[in-house]
Amino acid sequence: MNARSLLLNAYVYAVLVFILLPILIILPMSFSESNYLAFPPEGFTLRWFQSYFGDARWMAATWFSVRIAVLTAITTAVIGTMATYALVRGAGNMGTLFQALLIGPIVVPHIALAVALYLFFQSTGLSGTTLGYVLAHSLIAMPFTVFTVAAALSSVDPALEDAAMSCGASRFTAFRLITLPMILPNVFAGGLFAFIISFDEPVIAFFLAGIRDKTLPRMMFDDIEQNLTPVIPAIAVLLTLLSIAVLIGAGLLKRMADRRAAGVQES
Amino acid sequence: MSAPRFFEADGRRMSRATILLLMGPFFALVIFAFLYPLGNLLSISVLEPQPTLEHYQRVVENPVYGRVLMRTLQIALLVGLLSLALSLPVAVLMANSRGPKAILLTACILLPFWSSVLVRTAAWAILLQRNGIINQSLQFVGITDEPIRLLYTQGAVVIAMTHVLMPFMVLPIYGALRNIPGDYVRAASICGAGPLRSFWEVTLPLAMPGILGGFILVFLTALGYFITPALLGSPQEMMIATLISQQMRENLDWPFAAALVGVLTLIVTVITIAFSKVFRFERMLGARV
Amino acid sequence: MPREASLPTNGASIDIRSLEKQFGTVRAVDDVSLTVQAGEFVALLGPSGSGKSTVLMSIAGFERPTAGQIVIDGQDCTRLPPHKRNIGMVFQHYTLFPHLNVADNVAFPLKMRGVPKGERRRQAEAALETVRLAGYGDRMPKQLSGGQQQRVALARAIVYRPRVLLMDEPLSALDKNLREEMQIEIKRLHSELGLTVVFVTHDQGEALTMADRIAILKAGKLQQVSPARELYERPSNLFAASFIGEMNMLPVDWDGNRARLVEGEEIILPRNASIAPVKSGRAVLAVRPERLTYGRAGTDGTWAATVRDVVYAGAGTLIIANLADGTEVRLRVPSAGQHPVSPGDRIGLTCPPEALLLYPEAEA
Repeated sequence: MNARSLLLNAYVYAVLVFILLPILIILPMSFSESNYLAFPPEGFTLRWFQSYFGDARWMAATWFSVRIAVLTAITTAVIGTMATYALVRGAGNMGTLFQALLIGPIVVPHIALAVALYLFFQSTGLSGTTLGYVLAHSLIAMPFTVFTVAAALSSVDPALEDAAMSCGASRFTAFRLITLPMILPNVFAGGLFAFIISFDEPVIAFFLAGIRDKTLPRMMFDDIEQNLTPVIPAIAVLLTLLSIAVLIGAGLLKRMADRRAAGVQES
Repeated sequence: MSAPRFFEADGRRMSRATILLLMGPFFALVIFAFLYPLGNLLSISVLEPQPTLEHYQRVVENPVYGRVLMRTLQIALLVGLLSLALSLPVAVLMANSRGPKAILLTACILLPFWSSVLVRTAAWAILLQRNGIINQSLQFVGITDEPIRLLYTQGAVVIAMTHVLMPFMVLPIYGALRNIPGDYVRAASICGAGPLRSFWEVTLPLAMPGILGGFILVFLTALGYFITPALLGSPQEMMIATLISQQMRENLDWPFAAALVGVLTLIVTVITIAFSKVFRFERMLGARV
Repeated sequence: MPREASLPTNGASIDIRSLEKQFGTVRAVDDVSLTVQAGEFVALLGPSGSGKSTVLMSIAGFERPTAGQIVIDGQDCTRLPPHKRNIGMVFQHYTLFPHLNVADNVAFPLKMRGVPKGERRRQAEAALETVRLAGYGDRMPKQLSGGQQQRVALARAIVYRPRVLLMDEPLSALDKNLREEMQIEIKRLHSELGLTVVFVTHDQGEALTMADRIAILKAGKLQQVSPARELYERPSNLFAASFIGEMNMLPVDWDGNRARLVEGEEIILPRNASIAPVKSGRAVLAVRPERLTYGRAGTDGTWAATVRDVVYAGAGTLIIANLADGTEVRLRVPSAGQHPVSPGDRIGLTCPPEALLLYPEAEA
């Protein structure tokens, strides 16, 4: 290794430390016996996890977020797959409109979307409701799902559906039995992305929250702003595990999709 | 924005009615939860209490708000430049690595994509607090005698936002670098260019769309960023998103908050359209997978 | 020729009536009418863009005609969706479902028709046997060679005994040897199963060897529908004449009885030399290169020509010569037993009268 590439490597690893270190430092704090967030952590206890799992408000917020995220994942996967299918199978000039509308909600800053929805949902009674959150989160998660599904769909030869129809399948049956199984890993991956985007979404949650129903990110926001207790590192541990699970899940789905595309039998 | 190749149609046999039926739910969602609410908000900014541009005038003419706008642009630019300085070398090393090292680098970049923004912001709040680890270290090494104020400063906002947004720049650059055929660099070196020279003369220009695209993605996201400035920033040195929130939630000045949203949306839209050639979203989003 | 009526057939007749398909301003199919007899093997032949695939896709139901009718077995199918037409189809690139194994691919049409599982399995295996792939059911399509994949596609198309089998350039993805093997295979299946086959190809050799009748298309219009021999020996127009095999085209003056080569001899044509009446004036005399022979120059009743090139090719030799006015003429003669010629030699060409064909001068 020459000096130049040594320098490059050193620089890059320093950047990686910058990226990872903050999280790595706070994670052990969740096991600390100390009542305030100090480093190095003192002793070992699970009481911060207990105070998260034992607190009805944290639990309510968590389940509320899970419910929203699951519904968002399903909504996005279904609506997104339908639209993507139409798009890839020939929307013509409607494709350009579709793309502009798909990208719009994430080009516009989340703060603008959040404020607009806050105003609108106030007048329609959707503020703080599951439906309100699912609509808003589906909107911002949609592009991720659509692009994930489109990547798979554009590699499925349309002639396969023709072949199925010539075998006696209706277009819908052809889609269900031929195309859908081939793109299913990507549909799940798209749903997974939508789940995590919704589950972690802080900005819209900040504005749409009602008095009673708060999502987990909103509860965390309040805690960080006001008290900053060691419950936060405990939740950080759990969320980081969730992120790793999502990453691995997405990786496995990608492998599955590749294998299906290659036509290898799954054991 | 013209539809990219990604979406090229191949369906001579699906009727327009079927297409509308399949896209219908999506269009309904966008109209109901995006176009109408945003249009409604923006209309308030010019129609209330009567048709007027006074709210926009206030944004431009009141020096307090002008400063917020300038500060926001400066911070976003700074975050963009810092992210570029951090992510370009990472992307270069990623593009030139194989095997376990490539996997390690990719995992380190992908993990932040999927971890909570709040967790990462909270980490900085904990590190930077009055008796946090950074203050302790500074005192331990003897640089400072007593805890200094790190949290609730512009510095905290810039560092934490760079930390949160920088991975978004790595992947578009990495993608652009990976798409450059190795023969170009080989050709450059046959022509007599050294490694640095060929990087500067050949690789960098070819990767420019990815670099510019990643930079703009980070810059635009930083412009409207809310969470990090709200939690780590100083109330005296607000960014525009925090100002919008304050006008709306505390002052209940809807038309003015709407005008601020209008200004922010206008800036973002203009930049997006101006750079639509390099700013290809599927590339940015594909990065997340 | 259409199959003789006495032969038992399981096929359905297909009646294409004034079919028209417009894509934007392009008329891909222009007033095509064609009747395919039950049990007949018809090839649709034409250059790319001739509309042959569009005709096939209209029979299959994947294209909706702008005008005209598709009648299968007496039933008007023009508006019927593809899956209700009970047609078997083989596509250009196999199009086997990659996530299903060979047996499930073949059984797919049976599943669509609600055949119980055990019966599906049995019939699929039987179909695989028909295409000589017995025992391959558990493999995945990607594990098979191109030729094997195309046979699986064939098995899938015939498994439920459709009365019509459509093929869209099914052999174009295969290499030459496999292609010939598959041609024989498809012919065998056709006669064994007795179904009606419509076969799209741009390969004239394939069309000539396989089909009972060949329909030639050009720019969306039907040019000729004939059995192979008639198509080759008596093409109905200049396009058909030049599209199938090689053809010499000699400009002549025609007075209703005799044709006169430009700056050359007068030729008396038999009555049936023209397929359709040809007006007096400028016309084209067509003759296949292998029907021409040569002898010494100046002999009575021969056409004077000068040899320009001699290309020896084993069994045969190609001679390229020029008539008095410079028109190029090609001869394909057996190499053995000929008086050898070389470039510059003057020769006299002869041709049996029945090999001469007269066409009106080509439209610009």
